[in-house]
Amino acid sequence: MNKAAPLQHNFFTPNVWLLIFFMGSGAVFAFFRFFYGFGSVTNLNAAYPFGIWIAFDVACGVALAAGGFTTAAIVEIFGRDKYHALVRPAILTAFIGYFLVGLAVFFDLGKYYNIWHALVYWNGTSVLFEVAWCVMLYLTVLGIENIPAVVEQFKGKVNLPGQLASFNKPSEWLLGKADNILNRTMAFFVIAGVVLSFGHQSSLGTMMLIAPYKLHDLWYTPLSPLLFLTSAVSVGLPMVIFEASLATVLFKRKPETELLADIAKYIPLFLGTYLLLRIGDLAYRGVLAQAFDGSVQGNSFLVEFALFAVPYFMLKRRKIRRDALKLFLCAFSVILGVVLNRFNVFLIGMDMGPEFNYFPSVGEFAVTFAFLAFGVFLYRLGVNYLPILEEQ
Amino acid sequence: MDISRRKFLQIGAVASGSVVCAGVKPASARDLREPNPEWLGMLNDTTRCIGCKACQVACKKENKLPMESTLNESANVGRDVYDAPRGLSERTYTLIKMQQDEENGKTTFVKTQCMHCSEPACASACIVGALKKQDNGAVAYDSGLCMGCRYCMVACPFNVPQFEWQNAIPSIKKCTLCRETKLKEGKPTACSSVCPAGAISFGKRSDLIKLARKRIEKDPELYQDHIYGEKEVGGTGVLYLARPKMQFASLGLPAFKYRTVAGLTESIQHRIFQYFIPPIAVYSVLGGIMYRNQSRKKNGGEEGGSHE
Repeated sequence: MNKAAPLQHNFFTPNVWLLIFFMGSGAVFAFFRFFYGFGSVTNLNAAYPFGIWIAFDVACGVALAAGGFTTAAIVEIFGRDKYHALVRPAILTAFIGYFLVGLAVFFDLGKYYNIWHALVYWNGTSVLFEVAWCVMLYLTVLGIENIPAVVEQFKGKVNLPGQLASFNKPSEWLLGKADNILNRTMAFFVIAGVVLSFGHQSSLGTMMLIAPYKLHDLWYTPLSPLLFLTSAVSVGLPMVIFEASLATVLFKRKPETELLADIAKYIPLFLGTYLLLRIGDLAYRGVLAQAFDGSVQGNSFLVEFALFAVPYFMLKRRKIRRDALKLFLCAFSVILGVVLNRFNVFLIGMDMGPEFNYFPSVGEFAVTFAFLAFGVFLYRLGVNYLPILEEQ
Repeated sequence: MDISRRKFLQIGAVASGSVVCAGVKPASARDLREPNPEWLGMLNDTTRCIGCKACQVACKKENKLPMESTLNESANVGRDVYDAPRGLSERTYTLIKMQQDEENGKTTFVKTQCMHCSEPACASACIVGALKKQDNGAVAYDSGLCMGCRYCMVACPFNVPQFEWQNAIPSIKKCTLCRETKLKEGKPTACSSVCPAGAISFGKRSDLIKLARKRIEKDPELYQDHIYGEKEVGGTGVLYLARPKMQFASLGLPAFKYRTVAGLTESIQHRIFQYFIPPIAVYSVLGGIMYRNQSRKKNGGEEGGSHE
């Protein structure tokens, strides 16, 4: 097994400046949102109180961060140690993903300064309450799961400049302590991470069931929590493959095709389970015909389904898994499928009648892109200065 | 990482313990509540309403709501509108809408406002419990608790809660049943007290149902034999009467089922978190698998389970 090491590249490449540009333009719109109200930036309205900041930044953000718990479960719990190289990047991405979800929620809350109320004022009947607690606890767990990388990088090497040098000893002590404790308790956190993920991934699926008269039949099903969970598990490995492929190109690393092709064999298993549940549910409720009625929702469902089904059949074949480009495209298709599914549940499937419509404004897009850019920026920062990716 | 059996059990015990402690009190099962006969409400008789909008004016005065411009509506309607607003908003808690039946072309004036449901979906959805059904029947909103997540707006089947999109620090706005103003003085709601046509009756919900029944019995020619809101969505505090052969749906009152809107989400939440059994069970199973793989790896010196 190779050791992970920081990339230590030159950080401020043109790509990073591009990220900073996106973050900056998002910040401009965020200023208006915070000081002049949602109306000055967003197209949100009484019929569509949730826009892309919830549908994409939160719902998709949580789903796409599923790479963390799926990889951790496969490697640490089910003991498939040969995929060890994939764990650290997946855990780091998940941490960044959930951090951004929290930040997006903060931007989307009207009274963001009351965000701590979720901790104090409990309403057990609210699905959001469960989501908030699980996301918060899981973010903590992910933070803890990332500590070993920090310890490995700095333990015994803390050398703060100038005045701060007096903090060298306490920092060392802290790192040693953390190393010591985490070595013994990491198993607890790994399993807790998986259980918490099960909890809120499924609860996000319960969320829109509060609106039985608004959500389209194709998505309004008591099985929704299970479908959200299985689709999140299905998108975990595709996200890992997607990121690893991009990292290979952007950081000019040796491709890990063999390892990725190998772990990709689990994807059809997860996807198959999801598709079976999905089709079975639609058939059982007798709403399958609505998929073919030519409506926006029907067509959107067909596209969503194809994005899941095509990679399922493709990835069953070893030859396609071994082809780096085809594997990447299949992974990307699953990711798009999950994104479209979340959009369908939170926006497109919310049928509010002809007099209401919503399409995200430039400002909403800008803020969402800023979050994406910030995520990539943080990932870049992480892999550059912490031992996340394995040495080649 | 090597974990001895004993250590593993210790970790497991700490784990399940802290999950229980950190956890949530399981949502208690909620039986379908019979609406409390003491709850206050209103009866809107659409056969009597003449569309004068005095109730709208009274509501604005009582709640000190700013006026609303409809001059920008031309973008939505295709022509200029010099009239009352077209829907509820953060500045309009109640509104008279003229509804036209598609089949017989007859027009009816219908008052809209918060329905003050017996089982409010908004209250079930609210993450911090800022919306609550009060003992007097009003569904009250606490802006100090609210986080501004707008989940109540998604939850409400009548699309009543409105958000202050133009405010930097926005709140939810909706009809209060004059809870803080008129009801405190023991008076009926502002809208009902000014109605010149007697179309809005205020009182206890149970009395209003009796009143409605009486009207239907007395004049079956004028009234349809259905009290909207008696059973819909588990019962509402504001009830409606309509002319015969008139679809309530064409009056903007959809044919909702006779059960609470939040029933499904609440039962799912309840089942998942009942005494924390499911999460702890998942935790234990995963822990067992992990322990087995770890110990096999240690004993056999091979990669646990990597042979498919």
